[in-house]
Amino acid sequence: MVSIEHYLILATVVFFCGMFAVLFRRNIIFMMMGIELMLNAVNIVFVSASNELGHLDGQIMVFFVVTVAACEAAIGLAMVIAIFRRYGTINTDFLRVLRG
Amino acid sequence: MGELIVFYSLAALICACSVAVVTFRNPVAAAIFLVLDLFLIAGVYALQNAHFVAAVQVIVYAGAIVVLFLFVIMLLNLTPNDLRHSRHKVPEYMVMLVLAVTCVIVGIALLVSGPSGVDKTKDVLDKIGNTEAIGIELFANYIWPFELASILILLAIIASIVIAKKDKPTGLLKQNKKGVF
Repeated sequence: MVSIEHYLILATVVFFCGMFAVLFRRNIIFMMMGIELMLNAVNIVFVSASNELGHLDGQIMVFFVVTVAACEAAIGLAMVIAIFRRYGTINTDFLRVLRG
Repeated sequence: MGELIVFYSLAALICACSVAVVTFRNPVAAAIFLVLDLFLIAGVYALQNAHFVAAVQVIVYAGAIVVLFLFVIMLLNLTPNDLRHSRHKVPEYMVMLVLAVTCVIVGIALLVSGPSGVDKTKDVLDKIGNTEAIGIELFANYIWPFELASILILLAIIASIVIAKKDKPTGLLKQNKKGVF
């Protein structure tokens, strides 16, 4: 029988991988992939809590997280395209100015 | 016991794919590994009797979001110089092999899980492992968040169109192209 701790440890590993991407990668696309990984780690925790407690709310929350993730990906990638069109790069080392 | 073996295989592959997503230089390879990762996580959901969530994960995440990522990667057409080219060269047969192993493990996860393989009472499983129960819950107690989510998606569509729209070449843009940023 797999206990909930197993799933929590797995979620932690996935979350830290995503956090590593957001913190240390310079390419915006990789940073967004890291955000997706972190959201997935949260979903694993929600589903395992739902399974452990025998309650459906965790699974419902996963749907809303997926919705938000889809919106975030769409807007974020639109911003990536706009940034690339304007500056010709998506390397965050070169994007230091907050001015539009 | 079977469940434990499936879990450990899934967990090992998920960790490996997550590390691959984070460390690869080539964005297309990273996106492919992201698909694999999300697919394996769907296997984890299936292992926990959340079959509908697993289906949604595969359709929405692996099917829609990562395809969007790939579209953008192709659209940007980054040069090797932009990426400071990859040292991680992965042969195609390795990718195919990993993909095949993934499919087998997710299949086993789907077979192992379910009402017969777990020591939960049938009552609880009927409640959490049932798509009908999820639908009733979603449209009874969560109807307002559900409707708000639809508005959120509409806003996201409009916002992404507005942001990615080509703006007219103005003086400011030309100035920026000279390298003012």
